[in-house]
Formats: sequence, structure tokens, C-alpha cells
Amino acid sequence: MGSFELNTTISNLRSLLESDLSAYDAVYLGNIYCRLFEDNFLERTDDLKEGIARVKDQGLRAYVTSYAAPRNDALPKVQIALETAAAAGADAIEVHNLGVLRMVHEQFPGMPAHVGGFANVYTDAGAEVLKEYGAVRFTPNYEISLDEVESITRGAGIPAELQVHGKMPLGVSDYCFLLEYEQHWPEKCPVLCQKQLFLKQGDWAMRSVGKGVLSGKDLCMLEHLPALIAAGHTMFRIEAAYETPAYRFQIGQIYRAALERAVAGDGTVDESAWQVIREHTAVGLCNGFYFGRTGSEYVGKRVEAVAACS
Amino acid sequence: MVELLAPAGNLEMVKAAVENGANAIYVGARGWSRRRDAFELSDDQLHEAIAIAHSGGAKLRVAINTNMQSCEIPALLEKMEKFVGWGVDGAIMTDVGAMAQVHRRFPNLVLHASIGANIVNNQDVKFYRSIGVSQVVADTKLTFRELAARQAELDAGIEVLIHANNCYTYLGKCWMSPYHRLERTTDNFGKDLFRGSPNRGGLDYRVCLEQWELFDGEGLLEPQIALKNDAFFYLDDIPALIDLGVHCLKIQGREYPVPLVASIVRFYRELIDACLAKPADQPFDLTPWRLRLEAIREERDSRRGNMTLVLLNEARQPVPHTA
Repeated sequence: MGSFELNTTISNLRSLLESDLSAYDAVYLGNIYCRLFEDNFLERTDDLKEGIARVKDQGLRAYVTSYAAPRNDALPKVQIALETAAAAGADAIEVHNLGVLRMVHEQFPGMPAHVGGFANVYTDAGAEVLKEYGAVRFTPNYEISLDEVESITRGAGIPAELQVHGKMPLGVSDYCFLLEYEQHWPEKCPVLCQKQLFLKQGDWAMRSVGKGVLSGKDLCMLEHLPALIAAGHTMFRIEAAYETPAYRFQIGQIYRAALERAVAGDGTVDESAWQVIREHTAVGLCNGFYFGRTGSEYVGKRVEAVAACS
Repeated sequence: MVELLAPAGNLEMVKAAVENGANAIYVGARGWSRRRDAFELSDDQLHEAIAIAHSGGAKLRVAINTNMQSCEIPALLEKMEKFVGWGVDGAIMTDVGAMAQVHRRFPNLVLHASIGANIVNNQDVKFYRSIGVSQVVADTKLTFRELAARQAELDAGIEVLIHANNCYTYLGKCWMSPYHRLERTTDNFGKDLFRGSPNRGGLDYRVCLEQWELFDGEGLLEPQIALKNDAFFYLDDIPALIDLGVHCLKIQGREYPVPLVASIVRFYRELIDACLAKPADQPFDLTPWRLRLEAIREERDSRRGNMTLVLLNEARQPVPHTA
């Protein structure tokens, strides 16, 4: 790995084949919210094998994710996905569920485990427990601040992977409410949730993906990358499981260039990048909970950029 | 024998729960449980609650089930030292690290994995058993078949919520409320209350209950979307849960008035006793119980609806920034 890793998320083979991944070092394969998502890698053994091979052929690391909240009836499918990932040479498994972490640890002891954001790592003590189960990195729970992240990485000696752009998870459900309404619309499951659907009320907005709720605003840490690098962070994610290949490519290019500048000690931001970000943002930008504030707030100099796309 | 576990948001409620037949009561340590501090107990009150419960033949559990910060764990262990010394019967917790540390320090203390731990499959249960948890609160979305599989295959005690809330999202995996409003305030003891985060400080603005409209890129698709969020009372399932052998039937509601909680506890005490007394070869007639529960439900729904409006209004208030 170079001085940093930039990765992204892709739900199915179609999206992988349509995506230019030149900005990335690694890719997480699979959709964590819904087993019915169109051709979800996690439900299609042949696609997952091909996806891993295609990612690795590009010189990238192939990670396989797993469901955010798998019930008993999903575990046999999880088992098959884990076996497929291991046989196909996946570089790591991402786990959001501690039962799945246990499965990976017991059955695939050499396989690195990346602990996902739904696994609720809030403390260094929690991260230490998960390290004993084979975790080599963790995505902090989405509602903790950078100060808290630092206390975990320092206290537990395990690096954090930070989402730096894209819609932030706000919840996962076992129930897709879109199915109640789909008869009114031309699109149906399993592609309906890929529409740009927003729940709105007044100035509130959340992206709905059926069984998942995401932030309406795109989390954007572009102007804070130098601070993240200075704090010792090296692993960054562009969340794009429900985004277009163009989003994945263009946002990835912006962050790759900005991270390379930040690593070189150049903290400037390419002003033209903000126009591209605005074009890919339906509701606005936020910083999530990284600065200890309300998740939909944006902290930084780019308030005009936020206002322009709100 | 199945245990009836009742909530208590103050000492009066502890007494009422004991008098109305609870086998065990849980209370929140102030600043450390999944409820607002108004419905939690100070350390001194908690000491008294233990004495009240024990004098009535009931157990007393302490909920310390927020997702705390790393720096708060030493303070948590200090608190637990006191509570264990006072004879608390168990701790309800969420953070795996805090659980592991409490178990190492107090290996004889019964640890209950909170609903916020969102334990949804049997492998999950095995994981929590490995860090010292012996009782697991079942997620409200689990089916009877899933509970039966858990009971048959695992050696963990199962706790089932019989009066609670079934959110649209999984409990413990939802950040809708703090995404819209999060206020950092510390109490007199330096505990960060994370006002707006149900996982961290107990106040949930219930933004999921807003009257949402659904838009796509071209405009309004649906003018009114209701994300499912139901408060429920179990009734028909109670006999089957008892037959299944679940360890504990748990009532939520520390925030409700004492008389309402007392009536809920009394209702379930009498229902459980009637179920247990029924001859095995006779059907159990739930009709009179249904009528009785309806009156309780009406009062609960009225109070809950009013509280939701208050919370949604507060969620739209600006946060005073101190940073």
C-alpha cells in the first residue's frame, strides 16, 4: 500500500463493469442493506468471483463486504459469500455484524477482517475486543467524532478507515417501505431503490434506499483532508453503493488528487472540484459527526459551496 | 419460571413495580442509559432502589447501556464498583468493550446485552456469550421461529420485550435523530449526555415519525410517507412465549407516569399467573384480557403521541454552539 488507501463501494457486477476505478486502491464488493438489491454480489457466487478477479486484475485490492444486519435465514448465504471470497483471493472481509465476525475468525483465520460502521465501534475497549477476533481495521460508528476516533486508534492500536465522501448511513431496516408504493411507479424492485429518492419535510432531507436510510446531504471532507493526513489517517472511503459510475469516477479523481497533494504537504483545494461536487450533490454537503456536531452540519470554509447546492 | 421485568424511572415507580408483581426491575444510572436523565436515577437513588426491590423479593438491574466514549469507561467501572457493592443483581449494557471490562472486573455479575446491541442471529449470541454476557434482549423484529431456534440451540437467557416500540430501523443502528439535531451537554458529573442521540444519551427526537414526503429527481412522488414505527403490547403471544421457555418478559416505559406503569405491570403479572395456572389440556381465553389491555393502550398512545410532537418540535430548534 502507498502512503494512503482510497477505496469505494460497488453493489453489483454491472456497476463494476461500468466504473472507471483508476482513482482507487481498493473496492468493497456487495450491497450491505438488501438481499434483493439488483444482482447483489453477496447473493451471486459467479458474479462475486468475477468481480474479485476483475478488481485484482486492475491491481486493486478486492474486499468483500457483508450484510449490516443478517438474521439467521441470511447466514447460509453469508457463509457461501465468505467461502467464495476466500477461494477467489479476496484481500479482506468487511463485517458489520459481530456474529459474522465470529464466523470469519473461526472459519477463515487468515482472512483480515475490516469492521464496518454498523458494528458500532464507539470505544477503544470495544476495538480491542474485535482485534482479538481478527479485526485489522475499523470504520468508526458513524456518530462519533474525530477526537473519539483518535482515542480509539491510539488506545487500541488499530487503524481507522474513514468515510470522506458520499451519503452517510443513518439506519438499516428489515422492511422496505418502497414496496408499499411501487405499484404507483414504473420502476419496480430490485431496481427501484437505485432511483434518487429523498424523504423530505421542510428543510430536512434523507436519501431512502428502501431498507436503508442515508443522509440527504453528501458527507464531504475534501477541505479537511490535510488535517486527516496530519492526524495519521491513511484509509479513506468514497461511499458510492447507490451512486452512478460517473459519481464514483469523478469524486474519486477529486479525492485522489487532493490526498496526493495533502500527503505532499500541499493543503490547497482545486477550486474546480467544487463545481463537480455540486453537480453530484442533490441536497448539499455535511461533515457528519466528525466535529462533534449535528450530523447534517457543514464545518469549514466552504459555506458558500454548501449554500449553493442546498 | 418466567420472570416479569418492569421499568422504573424514579423511586416511586420502583415501589409500584414491586407492589404490582414484578420479579425484577431495571433502572438507568443517570447519564448512562438509553433514556433521558429525567427518567434515570442518581447513585444514591439507585442504592435505595436496590433496597426497595430486595425488600420486596425482587431483583434490581442497572441499565448502563449508552454507547459511551473511551474516556468514560474508567468512570463507568467506578460506578459499577459501587453498584456491585450495594448488591445490584445485573447490568444491562451495549458496548462490547465496556461489557468485556465489566465482566473481567466483576465476573459474578450477570450481564444482559441490551436491545441496543441489536443481536439478530445466533452467531451474534455466541459472540456476546464469549465476552461474558449471559442474557440477551431479543430484537423486537425477531419472529417466534427465530426465538425458538435461539432457545433450542443456545445457552443464553432470552429476554423478550412485551411492551415496547418497533422502530422502522433496527435499534442501535439508527442515527436519524442526531443527524438532524445533536446537542452536546455535560451533566454535573462531567458525563456527556449527547442530547439527540438515543444510542449515546437517551433522547431520541423521533424524526422517523415526521410526515415525510417522497421526492425523486423530477418532483413529488408521494405526498405522505409513514415509516413504520409501532408501539406494541404483546398479548396473544404471551402463552406461547411462556411455553417456549423464554427467561424474561420485559416491559419498557420508564418515561410513563407511575400509575400507568403500575397498571401495565399488574396486567402482565395477572396474565402470566393465569397462563401458568391454566391446565395444560385447556385453551386459554384471551378475550377478557384483550378488553383490559385496550384501556391501557389508549392511555399509552395518547401520552406517546403528545411526547412525539414535543420532540419533533425540539428537533427543529437551533443548537447553541459552544465550540
